[in-house]
Amino acid sequence: MAERPLPFPAPDEQSGPGEELDARLVQRLRAAYAALPASTPQMAEDCARAVLAEAARPQVGGGRGARGGRRLPRPQWWWGAAAAAVLVVSVVRPWRPEASQRQADSAFVAGSAVTLEGSTRVVGDGTVRFELRLPASAREVSLVGDFNGWDEQATPMVQRAADGTWSARVPLEPGRHTYAFVVDGQQWLVDPLAPQVPDAGFGPTNAVIVDGSSP
Amino acid sequence: MLLVWAPLALGAQQRPDTLRASVGPMLPAAAQTALQTRAQIQFDESRFDSLTANTLRGLFEDARDMGLPTRPLINRALEGAARRMSSERILRTVREFAAALNAARESLGATSTPDELAAGAAALRAGIDEATLQSVRRSNPRGSTEIALVVLTDLVSRGVPRPNARDAVNALSPLPKGDEALLGLQSLVAKNAQRGPGMALEALNRYVRGTIPAGASPSTPATTDRKPVRPPDP
Repeated sequence: MAERPLPFPAPDEQSGPGEELDARLVQRLRAAYAALPASTPQMAEDCARAVLAEAARPQVGGGRGARGGRRLPRPQWWWGAAAAAVLVVSVVRPWRPEASQRQADSAFVAGSAVTLEGSTRVVGDGTVRFELRLPASAREVSLVGDFNGWDEQATPMVQRAADGTWSARVPLEPGRHTYAFVVDGQQWLVDPLAPQVPDAGFGPTNAVIVDGSSP
Repeated sequence: MLLVWAPLALGAQQRPDTLRASVGPMLPAAAQTALQTRAQIQFDESRFDSLTANTLRGLFEDARDMGLPTRPLINRALEGAARRMSSERILRTVREFAAALNAARESLGATSTPDELAAGAAALRAGIDEATLQSVRRSNPRGSTEIALVVLTDLVSRGVPRPNARDAVNALSPLPKGDEALLGLQSLVAKNAQRGPGMALEALNRYVRGTIPAGASPSTPATTDRKPVRPPDP
């Protein structure tokens, strides 16, 4: 004789067909499981500790189970493996890959949050010192602008050994000048704090310096 | 005027040499002589291919004929070559910048310096309208508008709404040390713009309130929907 399904959870649910009752049971069980709070590392540690303590306790009373049958003896390594499995599943939580992904994204953002710093100041006799501190290492940095015909070879910058800042001194006539930095002959950068000149024609914006002594 | 601007409008499809050859027989002999002996504009042609260099030369000469400064146009072309842009893009950008220079001259006045016109053209290309340029000129009719236009362009590029940037620049520009005040405003806004949305405008309002004498502010404090998350740097 085939076993009948248990009368769970309500009598009205027994009146339907067997397949419908099974579907509702599965749905309720899944909903109840989803409503459970996620286990914390502390809960996992407590659970593992309890399992290990149970394993270390000597067997007494003939080892009879609740159903009155004889409990099967388990080897010591079984309990250790179970505790390790609980720890791995609770701490790593492989069913939530989005959590580890978020951590990776945050680490990436934090690592790339370093920004370049630049400065320009008049040294004297119409000479302007350009300085640039880069977040990453560079082999060569050059200064280009309307004062040198935008020639990458005309004004190479020199790196100070003390702090790694690239600098160059250029004599400039009073007036408006536009400039940019070229890193390793490929990447064009602008000073983020100097006045910006956005222009859609050639892509990245240029910085501009204005000498106050201009007529 | 139409003939002068034709190469600017036609670009690479109509070379200016060809255009001049077609209208040459209609000009008096003296004018033809003057046309042939006119000094050529010097620029580093080796940075471009021959066709692009010839077209650029036509653009530069037409701009000179209109009384526009050619140095900003040459710089734009050299910048494009240094950035390894295509010839088509270089020509288009130079042509658009020439048109912006002309519009800036109409807004700022014919007596404007070449640097003022270049700054005005950059402002127009950054999305600032001609009425704003005219208001900048009116706010400081006797002095140079060069720094005011540079700072105005920078403020707008950092997200400050155009009306707020215009009012702040026009309020600071007529001050006795207006240029220093404008550069101080630019520096403060640049620092605070890196700290989050709304910080640039908050810094601008605070700077203007602290710089302009009481009762002299021409506008009410600007507002924004984006609230700052922390107070701006001093």
